[in-house]
Formats: sequence, C-alpha cells, structure tokens
Amino acid sequence: MQTRVLLADDHKLMRAGLRMVIDSQDDLTVVGEADDGRAAVSLAAELKPAVIVMDIAMPSLNGIEACRQIREAHPEIEIVMLSMHSDEGYILRALKAGAKAYLLKDSAEADLTRAIHAVGAGKSFFSPAVGKVLLEDYMRKLERSGVEDSYELLSPREREILQLAAEGKSSKDIANLLHLSVYTVETHRANLMQKLNLKGIPEMILYAVRKGIIS
Amino acid sequence: MTTQANPSVKAPSSKVRWLFLGVSISLLTMLGVSGIFAARYLDRLHEQEQNASHLLGQRAQALSGLWLSIQNYNQAVEKFIAETNISERPVTRDQLDRLAVEIAANISGYPRARDPMEAALLAELQGVFSQQRTLYVAVVSAQPGNRLKAEQALANQTEQILAWSSKLQAWNGDRIQRADERMRLEFEGLQAGLTKTLAIGISAGLLLVLAGMAYILRLERQTDRRYTELAESRLQLQQLSASLVDAQENERRSISRELHDEVGQSLGALLMDLGRLSTEQPELRERLEPIKAVTERTVDAVRNISLLLRPSMLDDLGLVAALEWQGREVSRHSNIEVEVKSENVPDDLPDEYRVCVYRLVQEALNNAVRHSGARNAVVEVRQSSGTIQVQVEDDGKGFDPHRTRGLGLLGMEERVKRLGGQLEITSGPGVSIKATLPLPPPHGVEG
Repeated sequence: MQTRVLLADDHKLMRAGLRMVIDSQDDLTVVGEADDGRAAVSLAAELKPAVIVMDIAMPSLNGIEACRQIREAHPEIEIVMLSMHSDEGYILRALKAGAKAYLLKDSAEADLTRAIHAVGAGKSFFSPAVGKVLLEDYMRKLERSGVEDSYELLSPREREILQLAAEGKSSKDIANLLHLSVYTVETHRANLMQKLNLKGIPEMILYAVRKGIIS
Repeated sequence: MTTQANPSVKAPSSKVRWLFLGVSISLLTMLGVSGIFAARYLDRLHEQEQNASHLLGQRAQALSGLWLSIQNYNQAVEKFIAETNISERPVTRDQLDRLAVEIAANISGYPRARDPMEAALLAELQGVFSQQRTLYVAVVSAQPGNRLKAEQALANQTEQILAWSSKLQAWNGDRIQRADERMRLEFEGLQAGLTKTLAIGISAGLLLVLAGMAYILRLERQTDRRYTELAESRLQLQQLSASLVDAQENERRSISRELHDEVGQSLGALLMDLGRLSTEQPELRERLEPIKAVTERTVDAVRNISLLLRPSMLDDLGLVAALEWQGREVSRHSNIEVEVKSENVPDDLPDEYRVCVYRLVQEALNNAVRHSGARNAVVEVRQSSGTIQVQVEDDGKGFDPHRTRGLGLLGMEERVKRLGGQLEITSGPGVSIKATLPLPPPHGVEG
C-alpha cells in the first residue's frame, strides 16, 4: 500500500520539486497540493493523507499554526516540517505543534523520502545539519558557562529510556521492550527529565537531537 | 533637519528699546528739574516773607514808639496850657522839650527804606510836628492876652499830628495787606506751574506705560507664536523620523520577503532538481557537485541577508522566539553568551511593538559585541501592569551614554518614544539599556 502524501508550500517550483522526489518512490504518492496554511488544513480534513510535507513560512496561516490545527483535529496525520532555518526556536515550536520531522530545504531532496518513511513508522527525523547546529549551540554554552554536561548525570538505563522515548515510543512500548514495569519506566522518565531540566516531550526530542541520540 | 524660520517675524528692534529709555529718562529729568525749581522758588518766597515781616515789625515798633511819644507830648501840651501856676511852667517846658527830641529821634529812627508814599506821609507828619513846635514856641512867648488863641491853635495842631500818625498807621496796615496779596499771587503762580508740570509728567508717564504695555503684549504674542511654531516643527520632526523608521522597517520587510520567497525558494527548488539529477544520472555527479555547493552557499547568503533585514521569526513565531533566535545568533558569532528570559509576553503583540523591542535588543546586543568586550549579556522581556519592559544588560566595560550618542541609540530612542515609552541607559562598568513601553488598550485596532 502506498503512503498518501499532501504537499503544502506556497511556491510552485518547490512543490514541483517535492512532487518529483516523492513520485520517484513506488511506495509514496502525492494526493494533493496546498499553497497556503488554510488550504493545507482544509485539504487535510478532506483527503486524510498519512503524511503532510509542510513549509513553515506560508502566507495567511504559517506552517506551525497549520500543523497544530491539523494535529488537533487528526492526530493520526504525521507532519514533516520544511524550513530554511536550523534554529531551535523553529524546531522546538514545530515539535510542540506536533511535527515529527524537521527538514532543511537545502537538503530536502536527499532526506525527504527517509523523513516520510520515518514518520510513517512513528519515528522522528531531523536533517543532519539541524543536529549539528543544535549540538554546536549546546557545546558552546556548556563551555562558556563552565557547567558540566548534564547528560553525564544520567544512568545507562535512563539514557536508554531517553533514546526510546525521544524516538516516539510510549512508556508501555518501552516497558515491553526492556522487560520493565510501566511504573518503573515512568519513574526513570521523570528522573531523567528532572536531571536534564526538560519540560515536555518536544524539549526532550530537541535535547536528543542536539546530543545526536536520535536523528 | 531644521525648519525654515518664518521671515515675517523679525527680532524686536533695539530702536524701540532706546526710545523707551530716552523717553523715560527725559520724563524723570523733567520731574526732577521742576521739583528742584519749585523747592528753590519756595525758599526764595520764604526769605521774602521773612524780610517783609522783619521790616513790618521794625515799622510797627517805630510807629508805636512815635505814637506813644506824640501822645505823651500832647498830654504835656495840655498840661502846659492848663497850668495856671506860672512857676510850674518851666518844669513842664523842659518835659515838652525832652518829648520833642524823643519824637524827632523816633521819626529819624523810622526804617530808612521807604517807598514814596510812606516817605510823603512821614514828611507831612514831620511838617505838622515842626509847625506845632513853632506854635508852641509862640504860645510860650505870647502875651497872656493872646495866649488863649495860641493855645487853641496848638491843640488843633496836636490833633492834626494824631491824625497824620493814624494815616501812617493805616498805610502800614495797607502795606501788610498788599504784601500778603503779592505773596498769595506768587504762590498761586508757583502752584499753577507745578500743577502743569505734574500733569504733563503724569500724562507722559501714562503714555509711556501704555506704550510699554502694548509693546510687551506684542512681544508676548510673538513669543507665543514662535513657541507654537517650534512645538509644531518639533512634532513634524518627530513624525518625520517616525515615518522614516516606519519606511525603513517596511522596506526591509518587503526586501526580506522578496529575497526569502522568490530568490530563496527558487534556489531551493534548483537544489532539489540538482539533487535529483545527480541521483538519476550518477555519471554527472562529479560535475554537479560544485554547482550544488555554490547554490548552497548562495542559499545561505540569501537567508542571512533576509534574516538580517527582517527576521522571519518575528512574523512566524512571535517576539520571544525571535529574541531567543537573535540571542543564539549573537552567541554563535561573537564572544558574548546571550541569555534571553521572558515572562508573560503575549504572542499577539501588535507588530510595531514586536519590531520596536526586537530592534532595540538587536541594537543593544550589536553595541555590546562591537564596543564592550563583554562576556555575557542578559535580555529580559516581561509584561507587567500594562507595559512591556525590556532590559539588556552586559558585563562589558561600559560607555558614557551622554557622550556616545550614536545613530543606533538615537534610533532606539526614536522607536521607544514613538510608542509613548521611555528609554533609560545606564553605564558603569557594564551597560544597562532599559525600555518601558505602555501597551495599547486591550481592544486595540490591531487586527
């Protein structure tokens, strides 16, 4: 069965490029194109695609806002965010709005199909350049402030759980995978979140990307 | 930029000033001179009056002496005539002779300064007296038979002397009256003169005061008008610089959007095509790589220019995200680590507020990077009690905010002032730039 993809970008050239990349894959098919955020929201409701490839900067309703609305109405639709910016402000907000993948437009061609496949399988995906920028920011901050990397504070089990959770697995999945009780997994999760001073899953995913734990 | 001065408004001429001074001085001089003149005149009158009263006293004294001796003499004559005892006569005669000498002395003792009328009266008196003396001699030497007749004549003559004496006294009384009259007239003359001078002085003074008031009023009106003009031109200037700031912001936004939307997106599509081409035709990959690299660099350049002109975060993600991004950008490209803190900042801030705060922080951080040698900077934005408060602090070496008034600071001030806010710059070691912006009412015009 083919994965149905909706394209949302206000630039025709860009959409054409994306379509060609997707059409070249046998298991992917483009079911529609939207040229702004509002059209994306209504087409998502109408066409029920599995994945939406969405540009962040669009007129009338930007990609992040459109993503939030679509995810609220249709949690089963996964979203791959396209952006020109490898900045954590964008990434964190995209994650908070419910996007699972974040691609830089410069490298969209190379990574697009991998990203669509990843989110289709319930995983996260980030352009390699994104992780690099985030890590650089993180390391510089640590170096300048002289603070220890809080990752060193985590136990091996906590690191394991961090990776699985950041990949998008639920506590129940993790418990099954590691042969632990759900309660134990929840406790580890709470501890590691506190040690890393993270609030919510988007921040955790961002942290994981920054540390290169997931990509 | 300065406004052109209105050419119809001239500076108040110095001529008018001198005119006022001249008139005031001459008026005061006039009053002073007439005062001195009046004082002198009064002095002279006083002297005259004293003189006159002195003379009158002398005359009155002389006259009363004369009158007394004439009376005595008359009594003596009557006594002499009535004396039947001849042996007593020589005694009385001696007495008469003494009295006659006294009268003569009195007459000659009368003040020398005499006017003709007075002199005539005195001469008559003297004449009558000497006639009496003759008669008296006649009586003395007369035979007893003729004697009665002579005595009769003598008595007549005595009465005449008295009458002349009375005339002299009356004339003296007249004279006093005349002197009084003259004094009164002179005094009235002085009074009239003084009244006239005073009237002229007062009316001239009044005119001067009125003219002065009119002049002051005119000056006041001119000042008012100029003040209004100044305020207007200041307002215009402010509006002008506000619209300059606006125009700059709009221009930046449209160029940024154009770059991002058109150039950036086209380059993105180009990159995608290049990528596809190199996967589809691996034999071209080697030649396509450099083209791809150049295109990627161009994409980066376009993105950076576009962000510098107008950070798309401000529109896409809101103020706080844009500030955080900027903080990271500055941290990436400088030695300063920027921390951005925010509290209660609403996402739906009107655009001019977002832009104002953003540009303020941008300018402050740029200054810190360029001049301060700081290691850390903290940006804080919070909303509290109807205002947005922004503060940018660094730990650099600081600067003198009164002397260093660069275009950047001016621009900051302009933006903040335009929204009715206040900018506060303090610098010790380290600079703190703080702006407080009053927020628009909740139901603003912002759509």
